[in-house]
Amino acid sequence: MTQILLLEDDPGTADEIQLELAAAGYAVVHRTTLAAAAEVTRAGGIDLLIVDRQLPDGEGLELIAALRAEGFRTPALVLSALGSLDDRVRGLRAGGDDYLPKPFALVELLARVEALLRRPDERRDTRLIVGPLDLDLLEGKASRAGRPLDLLPRELKLLDYLVRRPGRIVTRSMLLQDVWGYTFEPNSNVVDVHMGRLRRKVDGEGEPQLIRNVRGQGYVFDVPA
Amino acid sequence: MFRPDPRTRATWRWGGALAAILVLQSLVLAALFWVTANGNHRRAIEHTLLDDCSFFALTPPAERIEELRERLARDIHRERFLALFDARGQRIAGNVATMPEPPAGGGMSFVAPIAPTSLPGKTSDVARLTLCPLADGTRLLAGMDLDDTEEALRLTWQSLLIGLLPGLFLALGVGLVAGRRAARQVDAVRLLTERIVSGDLDQRLPVPVRPDSFGLLCAHINTMLDRLQMLVAEVRGIGDDIAHQLRTPLTRLRAGLERGLREAEDRAGFEAVIDRGLAEIDGLLGIVAALLRLRELENDARRSRFAPVDLTRLVEDACDLHQPLAEDRGITLLCTCAPVPAVEGDASLLIEAVANLIDNAMKFGPAGGTVSAQLTCDAGVPHITIADAGQGVPLAERSLVTQRFYRGRRDGAGAGLGLALVKAIVDLHGFTLHFAPQGSAVTIRCGPRRPATDSSPPR
Repeated sequence: MTQILLLEDDPGTADEIQLELAAAGYAVVHRTTLAAAAEVTRAGGIDLLIVDRQLPDGEGLELIAALRAEGFRTPALVLSALGSLDDRVRGLRAGGDDYLPKPFALVELLARVEALLRRPDERRDTRLIVGPLDLDLLEGKASRAGRPLDLLPRELKLLDYLVRRPGRIVTRSMLLQDVWGYTFEPNSNVVDVHMGRLRRKVDGEGEPQLIRNVRGQGYVFDVPA
Repeated sequence: MFRPDPRTRATWRWGGALAAILVLQSLVLAALFWVTANGNHRRAIEHTLLDDCSFFALTPPAERIEELRERLARDIHRERFLALFDARGQRIAGNVATMPEPPAGGGMSFVAPIAPTSLPGKTSDVARLTLCPLADGTRLLAGMDLDDTEEALRLTWQSLLIGLLPGLFLALGVGLVAGRRAARQVDAVRLLTERIVSGDLDQRLPVPVRPDSFGLLCAHINTMLDRLQMLVAEVRGIGDDIAHQLRTPLTRLRAGLERGLREAEDRAGFEAVIDRGLAEIDGLLGIVAALLRLRELENDARRSRFAPVDLTRLVEDACDLHQPLAEDRGITLLCTCAPVPAVEGDASLLIEAVANLIDNAMKFGPAGGTVSAQLTCDAGVPHITIADAGQGVPLAERSLVTQRFYRGRRDGAGAGLGLALVKAIVDLHGFTLHFAPQGSAVTIRCGPRRPATDSSPPR
């Protein structure tokens, strides 16, 4: 079972995160101080760190930096209430692998955790065949069970991104960040409109649904059994 | 003397320093005068004495006594000493009783006390002397009384001292006045800061019409206070605004949950209630996140991450992002990009600003109309212009729309933070935001600020 160390001193937030991760099938070890967290990590068996920044005995980034210096490559997700994007840069520089500013939706957290635990299939294949889907990235064409999907270039990129992360939640901000290349929260539901069109094109009348909406926060590409 | 009040101490220090400078100057002056005068005088005397020596050396011994008497008789000031002594030191003629012993070191002349014979009531006098041996073994003592010199020096010292006294008082007085004036000025600032600390930001320091350096400092302090007062007012206003803005959705959320608890009967009913609640909470979190971002943008630290940004790609991406939404709403989104030079900036922030403007244009422009996003180049400076077919922001509201929580129209969704965010992003980049005098066009001028006089949009 995948073990996640959660370093967070606010009991309410910690409970919520623990419940969410447990529901997704992860074992969570919860610690509230840097010292205790460092001890658990050094003992081994931890697959992912979720680290808050402001802790009673110091700064969470220092723990990550210290562990990195000792050679621990455990992926780390940094949480912060500071809410500044410059903090994001500092967090990533200190050795964090992803950064999530508070307040965040639990779905977003779960999606990031999954992204960190399972690095996507980054083989530069130009032809992807998953279930009934056939994506030809060179030609810019895609088809579902022989039916050509008339996708715009952007839609093809979105589908490519989803197909490489089967069964995992992909949030709007992840799409905006990785497909468009910008980190910001749009006021309107622009990403949802793009995804809505993609879903209508991919999931035709009477066909099983391949792209699923998760609580209005993100999307999952389900590989048909 | 111990003075606990630093202002009094400063006053005395000023006065004392001025007085000390004056005394020092007088002393230096006196010393210079003494050294110069004394040296001149001595050279003049020695010249006279040597003249005497050479004169008597040339005079035949038989005539010397007569010559000596004649010379003494001619000296009506009674300041000359001349005497002839034989080889054993006995006086042959002249007005000095005994021959003084020259000091060991020698030298051209020396100062010694002598016993005058011709000065009534005086048995001893101080004179500068010289002893010249003559050819026949006798010696000539030539000398000059120093009474006058000493008198002159004494007078000089006296006058310097007397002159010093009023000078000292004057220096002390000026110092006290200057010190007190400085203390008064500092006092004014101190009293003001005390009032500011106690929360009164309305006070200002007086600035004279023609300010000196202290007046300029006061003017600067006043400017600082203006800015401070504005910021404090803004912060107070923001606090009120935030409370007000959050109260409405929170009340709605609470009412919705309460009603759901009362009325929902099955799982589906509760799920619907929870979904509505979540949507409401997301809206609230959105407001909080936008406020945090505004604060973050207003603190300029983010500039360190600026890099060259390709505005053409950025505007095209913004259009691409909004195209499906525009189509869904029956709006035509036109995107035209001229080639422009790259600008220093943060691409994510700039696209957020452009996206906000496009979003506003689609939201507030006429239904089924056209929204255009244009990237143009004017005098080497890129301009991003977003326009819809509507009238735009009413003139009276233009200064208000970039403030937090200002909503021109109450019917639309949103908390009224969009344009405030755009303005903050534009300011952070050192760019400027312009509203067209007619119509709805809003322009981001992606270049350094020009002098403040030009507020109209570029053509």
